[in-house]
Formats: sequence, structure tokens, C-alpha cells
Amino acid sequence: METFLQQLPTVLHALNIGFLQTLKLFIATLVGAIPLGLLICFGSTSKYKIISGFFNIIIWIVRGTPLMIQLLIIYYFPGLVLHNPVWGGSETGRFMASALAFIVNYACYFSEIFRGGIQGISVGQDEAGLVLGMSKVEIFVHVKLLQMIKRILPPMSNEILTLVKDTSLARIIALQEVIWAGQSFMKGSQGISGEIWPLFFTAFYYLVCNGILTVVLNRLEKKLEFFR
Amino acid sequence: MKKMVKFGLAALMGASMLVGCSSSKPAAEETASKTDAEQVVENGKLVVGVTDFAPMDYKDENGNWIGFDADLATAFAKDLGIDVEIIEIDWDNKILELNNKSVDCIWNGMTLTDEVKSSMECSNAYCNNAQVVIVNKDVADKYKDTESLKDLTFAVEAGSAGEEQAIAYELNYTAVQNQANALMEVAAGTSDAAIIDSLMAAAMVGEGTGYEQLTYTVGLNAEEYGVGFRKGSDLAAKLNDFFKKCYEDGTLKEIAEKYGVQASLIEMK
Repeated sequence: METFLQQLPTVLHALNIGFLQTLKLFIATLVGAIPLGLLICFGSTSKYKIISGFFNIIIWIVRGTPLMIQLLIIYYFPGLVLHNPVWGGSETGRFMASALAFIVNYACYFSEIFRGGIQGISVGQDEAGLVLGMSKVEIFVHVKLLQMIKRILPPMSNEILTLVKDTSLARIIALQEVIWAGQSFMKGSQGISGEIWPLFFTAFYYLVCNGILTVVLNRLEKKLEFFR
Repeated sequence: MKKMVKFGLAALMGASMLVGCSSSKPAAEETASKTDAEQVVENGKLVVGVTDFAPMDYKDENGNWIGFDADLATAFAKDLGIDVEIIEIDWDNKILELNNKSVDCIWNGMTLTDEVKSSMECSNAYCNNAQVVIVNKDVADKYKDTESLKDLTFAVEAGSAGEEQAIAYELNYTAVQNQANALMEVAAGTSDAAIIDSLMAAAMVGEGTGYEQLTYTVGLNAEEYGVGFRKGSDLAAKLNDFFKKCYEDGTLKEIAEKYGVQASLIEMK
């Protein structure tokens, strides 16, 4: 017990630094993937076959391959194959590569959720808007967008909670997120070795983070209940 | 008509992407014409790939990298007139990291195995090491020679020098992710024994460590540590000169004594 209390500050310090990386990657992914997902959604539902085909192939590839492999390809392909190491070896470079992989991956999943949300709204609303002389953009922004947000919130909440945990995959390219930090005490770090409890501690970080997110997302859902 | 325009735009975008790719090629060739050492000096820093591996590379309380290898790498970079940047990598990806140019060398108590020598430009060996067998203290007396090891189940790091020994002695083993996991297996009782580096065993097993109940018995072979650079790099030769210089003026021994590895140091001729 005494050694545990001695080790606790060291471990918590390392986990805090690791969790900051986890959070940064989570936020960067959300900020990037939501607009990109909307763009891909418009692309994949385009009435021009060539455009919708192109985006559907992208969605198929990105959703059909493991994120771990996408991370490895995005980080190592430029240096190994193109001989142009764009990312560099520093922690920042690894973060940028991870963020790109996560944004593209999650944008493809988001785009399909968005598509469901948009296509679920009855055609009658489009027709009514057109009759009233609104443009397509106006119809989307003023009529359909808020309804779409309400519809997609539950599936989006699911993806967002999964994303928090998926960020740990970035350790494959040595991004030192919270699980990396916890596992380092199994291998031996800062005089602590062969301890598994720091790794179990990381679970609490995820649990608390997802707890807060669940409350926030539920509140948002309630707020949107004023219309059906 | 509109369709045609869109198609044209898409084709244009594709073409510009291709041009974008091909235009980056001359730049890559340009860097290739410089030697690795010139390129590293031009970058102004030597990027060293390490793992957390006391006493070779580990972090002090302030999070700075220290250790025998870390201090040596810092001294080598200083000798080249540049800074050092130490980056923690995934050991499984060390050759990828080198070839990807995300690191310039692997300097982390690396055993010079045939595989390492064939995929990297290696420096001369600077440190002796051995593969030792780790068992629980209370049964250590029973396993004093290699013959007695046959009935044990082993945990070894996948692709490590320890695994090579397990194969050579035809031992019954499971490959795990790293040496630390191999130790965990023994501590947890899921394996009877592990094979790890003697330098690591000295730092991690026995009195005053995280694994007080474990000890090491049989030494299986002797081997040596070296530093790995990209294949064809001229930095390896430069490091050999630096090692020689440091051995002669005593700095190498001085740093080794700081981390208690002076007994393993190899004479540089």
C-alpha cells in the first residue's frame, strides 16, 4: 500500500500527459470529421453518377479496412515509398498523421449517418420549399438541417463514444496516448516496472470522459425534443 | 453539358494530383545525393529512436531522457555539432522508422543479430550482453544448467535474441510482445521462465526491483550491443571513430560508470 501511494503521483502525472494526447486527438477528429463527413455525404448522394461513385468507393475502402492499417499507411507510406518523410519523427508529426487518419476514417462513418438523417426527411418538405420559392441551399439550411441533427444525434453519440476509445489505436505509430502511458509501467518506466494497475487506471480516464460526454449528448437530445 | 464540365473538372483534379506527386520526386532525389551524415547535419539534429529501457534509455523525474545510450547519443550529436532529439518508438517498427526517416538511428541496447545486421548499417559493438533465464527464486536451484530447462515453459520476446536462443535449445516457448511482458508472464505464473537480456535482468529482477521474487540463472550465450543506422549510412563509420576517441580519452568509461554498466563495456580498437 505504501509503495502504491508513493508511485501514484508519478503514474497519474504520466497518465495525465497521455490523456491530454488522447483528448487532443479526439477533439481534432470531431472538428475535422463532421464537416468532411457532410461533404462526403453530399458527394455520395450526388445525382451525377461519377461523383457519387467516386465517393462511394472511398467510403467502401475506408470503412472496409482496419483503422490500424490506415494509420500505418498514412504514417509510413510517404517516407518508405515516396522517400519524402512529410510527417517527421517528432510527437507532433505522429499526432498530425494520426489526426489525418482518424478524420478521414470517421468522416466516412459520419457521412453515412448524415445520409440516413437527410434521406429520412420526407420529399414533401423539399417540394413545399420549392413551391415557396426557396433555393436548394435554403431548404437544406432552414428546413432540413435541424431535423437532420435531431435524427442523427443517437447514432452520432454512439460513434463519438467509440471514437474516444478508438484513439488508443494511434499507439501503433507510437503516439503516446493514455494506454501507451499506462502500459509503460508494465515494461518499466521511471523506476516502476511490472505493474498492471496503471493500465487499469487508464480505464477510469475513459470512463469519466465518456460519462461526461453521455450527459452532454443526452442534454442536447432533450433540447432538440421540442419538435418531432 | 453540365455532366461534361463536371467530368472535365474531375479529370483535371486527378491530373493535378498526379503532377503534384511527380513534382515531389526531384526533391527526393536531391536529398538522396547527399550522404546521410550531411543530411542529418543539415537538419541540425540527430533523431534517436529508443524505448523505455533502463539503464540504457529511460526518463528522469523531469521527463528528460537519460541512460548510458541516451548520454552517449547526446555526446555523439554534440561531436557532430548538432542537437539530439530522442523519440520513443514502437520496437517492432524500428526498421520502418529508420527507413521512413522519422528517426536517424536506433540506439537502445540493440543486440547485433543477423537480422539487425542485414537490415541496418550497424556500428561496432560497444557493450557485451548475454541472454539469461529468469525463474522464480524458490525454484532457481533446480535449473542450473541448460539440460534442466527442457521441462519448463518459456516466455520470450517475439523476434528477439532470446527467441533465437529458445529455438536453438529447442525449448518449449511462447512469443510475447516484449521482454517486460515475458517477465510479467513469469511473475504471473503463466510461464515457468523467461529469456531476456542480462543487462535488463540486472536492472529489473531481484532485490529492490519490481520483481523481487524472480532471479536469473543460466546464461545461454554471449552477444553484443550496437547502434543501427539506415542501410548505407556513413554515420556508422563516424560513430565508430567517435567511440574510439571516447574510449581512449575515458569518456566512454565515465558515462558507463554513471549507469553501472562499465563491466560490460567493449574495448574499442
